[in-house]
Amino acid sequence: MHRLLALAGCLVALPCLANQDFPFVPSRDDMVLQTVPSITDARVRAFAALRNDWSRHPQDVLDAVKLSEAYLDYGRDTGDARYLGRAEAVIAPWLARLPPPIPAVLVHATILQSRHDFTEARLQLRGILARDPDNAQAWLTLATVEQVQGDVGPARQACARLLDSSDPLIPGGCLASLDAVTGHAINAAHLLAVLWPQAKAENVAVQSWIQGIQADTADYLGDAAGAERHFRTALQLTPGDNFLLAEYGDFLLDQKRPQAALELVRDYSQSDTSFLRQVYAEAALGAPQTAADTAEMARRFAALEVRGTYAYRREEAGFVLFLEHDPQRALQLAEQNWTVQRAPQDMRVLLQAALAAGKPQAAEPVLEQLASTHLQWPIVVNLADKVHAQLAKQSPASLGQKHP
Amino acid sequence: MRRARALLVLASLVALLPVTAWAHKESDAYVDLRLDPANPNRLLGQFDIALRDLDFAIGVDSNHDGAITWGEVKAHREAIERYVLPGLTIQGDGLTCPITPQGQMIDEHSDGAYDVILFQALCDKEVPDKLTIVYHLFQQVDPYHRGIINVYARGQTSGAVLGPQNPSTTLDINRPDRWRQFKSFVIDGIWHIWTGPDHLLFILSLLLPSVLICRRRPRTPFDGGDWQPVERFWPAALELVKVISGFTVSHSVTLSLSVLGFIDLPSRLVESGIALSVIVAAFNNIYPIVTRRAWLVAFAFGFIHGLGFASALAGLRLPAAAMAVSLGGFNVGVEIGQESVVMPLIMLAFAVRQTAFYRIGVLRVGSWLIVLVAALWLIQRAFDLLIPGLGFLTPS
Repeated sequence: MHRLLALAGCLVALPCLANQDFPFVPSRDDMVLQTVPSITDARVRAFAALRNDWSRHPQDVLDAVKLSEAYLDYGRDTGDARYLGRAEAVIAPWLARLPPPIPAVLVHATILQSRHDFTEARLQLRGILARDPDNAQAWLTLATVEQVQGDVGPARQACARLLDSSDPLIPGGCLASLDAVTGHAINAAHLLAVLWPQAKAENVAVQSWIQGIQADTADYLGDAAGAERHFRTALQLTPGDNFLLAEYGDFLLDQKRPQAALELVRDYSQSDTSFLRQVYAEAALGAPQTAADTAEMARRFAALEVRGTYAYRREEAGFVLFLEHDPQRALQLAEQNWTVQRAPQDMRVLLQAALAAGKPQAAEPVLEQLASTHLQWPIVVNLADKVHAQLAKQSPASLGQKHP
Repeated sequence: MRRARALLVLASLVALLPVTAWAHKESDAYVDLRLDPANPNRLLGQFDIALRDLDFAIGVDSNHDGAITWGEVKAHREAIERYVLPGLTIQGDGLTCPITPQGQMIDEHSDGAYDVILFQALCDKEVPDKLTIVYHLFQQVDPYHRGIINVYARGQTSGAVLGPQNPSTTLDINRPDRWRQFKSFVIDGIWHIWTGPDHLLFILSLLLPSVLICRRRPRTPFDGGDWQPVERFWPAALELVKVISGFTVSHSVTLSLSVLGFIDLPSRLVESGIALSVIVAAFNNIYPIVTRRAWLVAFAFGFIHGLGFASALAGLRLPAAAMAVSLGGFNVGVEIGQESVVMPLIMLAFAVRQTAFYRIGVLRVGSWLIVLVAALWLIQRAFDLLIPGLGFLTPS
C-alpha cells in the first residue's frame, strides 16, 4: 500500500527526490537520480588506466598503491568517504602479507588517519619507521596524527625529521601549522609568507594547503581580513574543497556573517559538514526551514551512529549544543571526542559545552592543553577565561588547586 | 635521492590535512525484513543499495555522463540483482530461505539515491524463530561497507550491522519483551489478591489482632478474654511485616513448585485447605491458641495458599523460558497486592484500637463472620455444593 502511496505522491508532486521517506518509482526514465564521477573528470579517466595497470600486474605493489592513492586523493577532494574503503580494498591483499610492503602500510596508515582511527594509524606508522627510519611520508603522516591529538612535542619532532629533505616547503608548512597553534602564530605567518613563492611552483593542492594554513594562522592571530583573504584564495585554487568549505563557513559564522556562510555552502547540501554550516546559518538568520533542516541533520548523525561511525563527534557536539539545545549530551559528546582528538576546534567545543552545561570542571583538560600549548586563538582564549571565572565562583578556596 | 623523496611527499599530500572533513558517511546498504502476514513461510524484504556503490562496482552510468537516470537503473535491473542478491543469505533451523527479487524502486537516503530491490525469502517451513543472516555484499571492493539489517516481526524490531569482520548474525525474531511480560504478571498477581476474597480474609484475620495484646486467654470461645491495645505503632507494624513475609516465603515456594510441575494436588483439596486456613486464622482471634508467633501461622498456611495461586497461572500455558519472569512477576504482584491492603488497614486499626467497637465489633464479631463465611466456603468446596447467596464471595 505504501508503495502505491509513494507512487501517487510522485505523480502529483515533482521532483520526487526531495525528502522521500519511502521507496518510490520515478515517473520518468530521464529523471536524474544520482550524480557520480564522470569521465569528463581527468581524475576519473586516470582511474581506468591505473586499474588496468593494477589488474595486469598483480605482483606489483606499486601499481596497487598508485590506484589506492588515486582513490584516496579523489575521495578527499570530493569529500566522498566511500573512497576510503575502495582504497583499502586495493591494498588489502598486500597488507595480509608478512611483512607487508611499506608503501602499502603507508597508504593504510593514511586511510586509518582519515577515518580518525589515530591510535591504529600511529601504531602502523611507528612500525614503518622502525623498519625505515628515514621514511619522509611516514614522518609527515605521523606529524599530522600527533598534531590532531594535541601532542605538539612529538609532532614537532616528526616535522623536523622532514628537514632532511632538500625541499623546505613541506617541513616548513608542517612546522608553521604547529607554530600557529603553539603561541608562535606570528612566526608561522612569517614563515608561510616566505614559503608561498616556492609553493606557487607546485600543484594547486599544495598551494591550497599553504593558503589554508595561512588562513588558520591569521584567524588565530585575530586578523579577520587576512583570514578571509587566504580562505578565498584557497577556495579559488581548490573550488568546492569540503574541508575548506567547513572551515571558511565556521569562520564566517564566527564573524556573524550567516548570510555569507549560507551562500558559501548552500550548493553543497549533500555534504554533511557543509549542510551542518547551512543549518547553523539558517538558525542565525531565523530562517523558516531551520527546524526541518535541523531534523534532517539529526537523521544524518543517526545514520552515522547506526553504522558505528563516531568520527564526527566534534561536529555532533556543536550541533547538539547549538541546535538541539541539550548541553548535557553535548558535553558528553565533546568529552568523548576529546579522548580521540585535541585540535583547537576540539578545545573550543569542549569549552562551550562545559560552560553551557554548568560544569566548568569538565573543561579542565582543555585548560591544561591551553596552558601547555599557548594557543592564541581569541575564541578559545575567551572561552577559557569564562571557564576560569566560573571555576573561581564555584570554589574560591580551591583557586589554583588542581581538581582531581 | 633526496629530491625524489621530497617529490614522494608532495605526491601524497593527502596525509597533510589535519582532520579531513568527509562530506558524508561511508558505504551502507539497508536490509529490512518483515514476516508476511498472509504466509507464515515467507519473509518480505527491501534491500536498499546506494547507486554510487553500484556504479563503482558494476557501472550503472551507461553513457558515462556522470548522471544516473531512472532509465539506466531500470536497464541494469538484472545485473544489479545478480550482483547484489548472492551477498545476502537468510537461513535458520538448518534451512535456507531462497531469495527472489520481486520489484525495483528508488529510495532516498541522507547520502543520495538508493536502488531498492523488493524481494521475498521463501522458507520450506514456517519462518524459523532464530533467523541467521549472512552478509557479504561489496566485501571485495569496500571493507568499510556495512549491511544494516532490521527485522520487523511480531511487533518487535531486531537488528544488526554486518561487515567483513562479522558477516553473520542470528536474530531471535520470536523474542518476547521480557520486561513487558514481567509487568503483565505483576498486574496479574495484584489482581489475583484483590479479587481473591479468601486470601484477603486470611490476611485480614492475621491483621486484626496485631494492634492488640492478649493479656488473658478467654476460657471459652464466647468469653472474649482480655485484649489490651499496643502502645506503639512500629512494633505492631513490624510484627505484621513478619507475618506477611512468612506468608510470602511459603507461598512462593509452593507456587514455584506447583507451576514447575513438582507438586500437583487436586484443586478441590487445595481450595478446601485455603478455606480451612481462613477458619483457623479467624478462630485464633476468638479463642487464641497462637498469640506470640502469628507469623508461624502465616508461614504454615502460606504453603497451601501458594498452591492456590498456582491455579491462577495454570491456565496460561507458559513457555518454559518465560517461567522465571512470570513467576517472579506474579510473586511481586501478590506482594504488592497484599501490602496495598495491609498498610492502610493497620493504620486504621491502630487508630481505633482502644475502642470497644474495635475489640468487640471488629475483632470478635468480625472474626466470627469470617469463620462463618469460610466455613460455608469449606462446605461448598469440600463437598462441591452450590450454596445460594455465596456467589458474591466466591473467589474468581
